[in-house]
Amino acid sequence: MFIQQFVNGISVGSVYALMAVGYALIYSLLNFTNFAHGISVTIGAFAAFFFLTYAMQNLLSGIIMGVIAAALLAAFIQLVAYRPLLKRNSKRIFLMIIGLGVSVIGDNLIIIAFSGRFRIFPVNFSSESIKIFGANIGVVDIIIFVVSMIALLIVELIIRKTRLGLAIRGASFSLDTTSLMGVNTYKLILTIFLIAGSLAGIAGALLGAKYTTYPSLGTFYTNKAFICAVFGGLGSLPGAMIGALILGVSESMISAYVSTGLRDLFSYFILIVILLVRPSGLMGKSSENKA
Amino acid sequence: MDNYDVECALEICDVCKHFGGIIATDHINIMARSNTIFGIIGPNGAGKTTLFNLITGIYKPTSGDILLYGKSLVGKLPYEIACEGVARTFQNIRLFNDLTVYENLHIAYQKSITYTIFDGILKTKKCKEQEAKCAEISEQMLKSVGLWELKDQLARNLPYGLQRKLEIARALITNPKVMLLDEPAAGMNEEESEQLSGIIKDIRNNNDITIIVIDHHMDVIMDVCDEITVINFGKQLVTGSPYDIQNNSEVIDAYLGVGD
Amino acid sequence: MIYWLGVATLVGIYLIAVMGVSILCGFTGMFSLGHAGFMAIGAYTSALLTKNFGIPIFAGIIGGMILAAIAGALLCYPTLKLRDDYFIIVTLGIGEAIKLIILNAVNLTGGARGLSDIPKGSSFISVWAIVIITFIVLRSFINSKHGRNCIALREEELAAQSVGINPIKYKMVAMVISCLLCGCAGGFLAHYMHYLQPNMFSMVKSDELIIMVILGGQGSLTGTVLAGLLLLPLPELLRFGSAEQWRMVFYGLLVVIVILFRPAGLMGMREFTFKDIKNVAKWFRSEYSKKTTRNKV
Repeated sequence: MFIQQFVNGISVGSVYALMAVGYALIYSLLNFTNFAHGISVTIGAFAAFFFLTYAMQNLLSGIIMGVIAAALLAAFIQLVAYRPLLKRNSKRIFLMIIGLGVSVIGDNLIIIAFSGRFRIFPVNFSSESIKIFGANIGVVDIIIFVVSMIALLIVELIIRKTRLGLAIRGASFSLDTTSLMGVNTYKLILTIFLIAGSLAGIAGALLGAKYTTYPSLGTFYTNKAFICAVFGGLGSLPGAMIGALILGVSESMISAYVSTGLRDLFSYFILIVILLVRPSGLMGKSSENKA
Repeated sequence: MDNYDVECALEICDVCKHFGGIIATDHINIMARSNTIFGIIGPNGAGKTTLFNLITGIYKPTSGDILLYGKSLVGKLPYEIACEGVARTFQNIRLFNDLTVYENLHIAYQKSITYTIFDGILKTKKCKEQEAKCAEISEQMLKSVGLWELKDQLARNLPYGLQRKLEIARALITNPKVMLLDEPAAGMNEEESEQLSGIIKDIRNNNDITIIVIDHHMDVIMDVCDEITVINFGKQLVTGSPYDIQNNSEVIDAYLGVGD
Repeated sequence: MIYWLGVATLVGIYLIAVMGVSILCGFTGMFSLGHAGFMAIGAYTSALLTKNFGIPIFAGIIGGMILAAIAGALLCYPTLKLRDDYFIIVTLGIGEAIKLIILNAVNLTGGARGLSDIPKGSSFISVWAIVIITFIVLRSFINSKHGRNCIALREEELAAQSVGINPIKYKMVAMVISCLLCGCAGGFLAHYMHYLQPNMFSMVKSDELIIMVILGGQGSLTGTVLAGLLLLPLPELLRFGSAEQWRMVFYGLLVVIVILFRPAGLMGMREFTFKDIKNVAKWFRSEYSKKTTRNKV
């Protein structure tokens, strides 16, 4: 029972990590929270669902479809909503408000297009399980963990080893300086949104595989992911991953040993406690307001 | 008033500030005498603005004490220090950009307004009287700095020089004991900075106030200050009259980048 | 006629909440995604007090307001010192948490099934009397020193502190005012609907409140009220299959367009005055006379 719940927690946590890293990437560069992240997740889940239903019953291809759809959507949102604001250097709060507006539009358009129904992926993994150390481990959990870790590893490698990664790391210290060094910051920002969107797409497809697909899926889980990002320290990638795994496991434990109803309450409670005790999170840099 | 035994308005005693391993200010000692203009000069990154942020409570000193007329300011919050009577301007102007010139001053006068929220809502006599006083003083202040004609302009639409002027007026209307001016002449041409020197001297002559100025415009500093201290790399080099400073070899080295 | 009176009453109830949120988001610049939660506190408190203890409705509503304000003050105090992102996410968390608590406290609130048989009592007149009083009180507040201090914090917090404005105090004042009014609106809602369900106070409702403020103009009470009067009746007027979703899409589009092209909102920071009405009237008259002269020619 314990091992089962632990594995379940790790698998949920790794999906949280995919979304939390998306938040952290955008935050580290642009210093604002992308409130439109949720619809990329939802679109990823729906794209995977429709691909699996009407084209091919292969989860991996489904995930790839989810990634493509979500990344394109994230890039589109960046171009239409955020870029004009970034160009005229408007207040950070406006970026968040427009993100909110976009997510309201997206969520409701998805309901209009696909109805609010809960859909189950035609490929049913949730019932299959294998026995490890006497515990039943769901195959889907293993797939989720492996896929998430591979995706996060790729992102980590891009950031550590490539020229693009160098530009991203530079820009997270100072976007202006990086642009002075000859980096096209708009292209860089677009790339970041593509990466964050791809991660969101994977997360959406995996959530669809584990649970069901429905319009408010993205909003619900990105709220959790945002808590993870705050927990780890806004803007810190390793922080976001660790925060996500901790939250995933503790949620799983709460719903197993206390009550499922209190699980979400616990997450929001954690958020408030973190902000009380250590607002900069586990690995965040505290920023003093400079005069 | 050639009395050199006047009391000390602002005293900075042995103040250090470390950011991680970086020493931003290192054992700074300043005694600004009452009703004088005190200048702080030094190259970029010397720790001048850090010093202002320490005085106004935005940073806490790692060690040392800061006294306003003998009363320690260390550990107080920025707004409390403002209420004690320290007003300031900012290096990169911080006005209430989307409000009018008049509203900028109106807000800043709030320290002298004592009515409660309920007075405000019920528009009691106390509220009306104080509001009228506030309007009168804002008007006076605007007229005295020559911004009265522009009172309905948004602060963001003012030219740079006038924004600096407005910021000084906003600091002054709080009726401070000590006013800190952070690079008031930055970005001004020769004529404007000459005019600024005049304004700063007028303020000192017409008010019971001590002014501390940071700048690297030597002409403004040398013109207005009674006493000057030079800071370089967080360390205090010398303190003295403008004449002393101009003829000090250490200062010349610091500015020309010679020295060690 | 009775139907329209009902719509007008409902619009009035939400206007009270929107005005409260306007003080917090529009004038003090703190964006909250959880104020539907404070409406829920007001609604459930008043409903339970009047239903279980038989106290008069107005006392129940006041009780709800006070509890909402206390909850808001206690919960948000720790985050007031932090950056605005944190405030947004904490309010979102609080809003959701309040909903979840109500869902789980089945014995007290009826959980997801809802709470029914709440005493009636929100009439058109009582609601609109409160709307008008609230408007007048808030207007005086904004024009007083205390309101100006809130605006200063929105504009430039560091500068506001440098003229001696206590940021925590005035953020707290704005928070308490907004929670009081949201609690009040919630109370009226409970006694208007006679029935409460946690889903009535979802995040979508919080989004709606803040959208009104953004559209009306951050820093214009009249603008916010105007936006509310234009948009709040929509859910009642549009009643077809997915009208609710199309309405939200429309709101979202409005927000995007406003932020892209007119970030200050409908009225910007200006207040709508009698002079404006006169000017509009004058403009109409001149247009009309132009037309008539043209016709004569």
